[in-house]
Amino acid sequence: MTYVLRYFDGIGIAEALRLLLTAAGAEWTEEHPEWPLEKHNQPHGRMPVLIEKSGNGSVDFVICESGCIERYLSRKYGFLPADLKQAAHQEQLRDLIHDVNYALAGRITCKCEKDKEESNAKFKVLLDKVIDEQSRLIKDNGSTGRMFGEQLSYADIASYGFYKNLIQSAAQVLPDVADIVKHKLTPEVIKLISTVEADPLVKKHTSKGESLSAMATA
Amino acid sequence: MPNPTYILRYFPLVGLSEACRLLLTAANVEWTEEHPEWPQEKPNQPHGRLPVLVEKNPDGSPDFIITESCNIERYLARVYGFVPADPKQAARQEQICELMADVFSYLSGYIRASSDESKQMFLGKFEALLETLIEVQTKLIEGNGNNGRQFGDSLSYADMVAYGFYKKLMIAMARFDANVPKFVKSKLTPKITQLIATVEADPLLEKHTSKAGSLAAAVSV
Repeated sequence: MTYVLRYFDGIGIAEALRLLLTAAGAEWTEEHPEWPLEKHNQPHGRMPVLIEKSGNGSVDFVICESGCIERYLSRKYGFLPADLKQAAHQEQLRDLIHDVNYALAGRITCKCEKDKEESNAKFKVLLDKVIDEQSRLIKDNGSTGRMFGEQLSYADIASYGFYKNLIQSAAQVLPDVADIVKHKLTPEVIKLISTVEADPLVKKHTSKGESLSAMATA
Repeated sequence: MPNPTYILRYFPLVGLSEACRLLLTAANVEWTEEHPEWPQEKPNQPHGRLPVLVEKNPDGSPDFIITESCNIERYLARVYGFVPADPKQAARQEQICELMADVFSYLSGYIRASSDESKQMFLGKFEALLETLIEVQTKLIEGNGNNGRQFGDSLSYADMVAYGFYKKLMIAMARFDANVPKFVKSKLTPKITQLIATVEADPLLEKHTSKAGSLAAAVSV
């Protein structure tokens, strides 16, 4: 079984997927379709898209929508527990993270200063909530730098991808974002970032490019 | 062991909770709704937002509390069997639900934006993605044997989410902007109209859909 991840050539919202595929030990490659030329060839006209191929290379399964792909891989490879209650507590954090990203996007897509400022205000409020929640989970979980259990979890991976996108990618378009985020990070979340980055399951991927952990504490 | 009972905390609105209400009804569990004083009760919610679902178990274990509307929907759908256990089949339902959530996000942006230009931007995105959604859903229904369902032959998670979604657009949004329901209606295909009617008529949902206005009537007039 092999996977193809279709996305743009950038961090964006696909980083959690790259980390999950790496952590799963799966054979995977990435495609960067010509855009918007290839829009109509995607199930929902959007990316990311995940293609699952069987051993002989034939396509078995195609899914899209970032959260859906993340949960599919997480469940398949055991990064989300089978217990529905435990899984729901991880998934709800990721849903909140999605809304933070959406609010931030408003700063770019909205046309007037007032709407851009409101988007920024909402971004900060929701980001505070995410950081509060992550810090609480880490403390309740014994301050090991993990939010759930003793091993790398879906929520840990999604969080790392989230901060990587904000600090390394979004900051290129919105230069103040990296500082906003860094000033809000708690010691617990900083430890989360470094714990994920150092995890043997994802080191192959996190060691590429600049260290997020170093940037977060710079 | 009797089933758990539930409290759904939300505002007294269709809003983001309609699919949750449908799932609770279809699950045939005892549930009630709480409308917390807002914003006073904000700090008492896990993410400072609503909806929140409280599950009370008869064995005396502590309440199980979750939040985020899509997360609540997926949890109820999985626990009560409205989404298949097979991960690929479940993913196919989840992906259309995630698309619906994004379409609604653009509509929310349109309603909340201050300037006409921002409004036009969101409206454009909403309209384009809604058209994609309707195309994808219509194909699903056609590929599913034209039985008025997106998946399988009984009431599914994705069908309930779809009903809640169209109810938001056709009925809930009408008070903000009458053009929204008009536009949506102009884009609906007969298959979607049939989907809405099929869900509304499902015996599992009778207790809930018989209250308030009929969405099936609203889309066909």
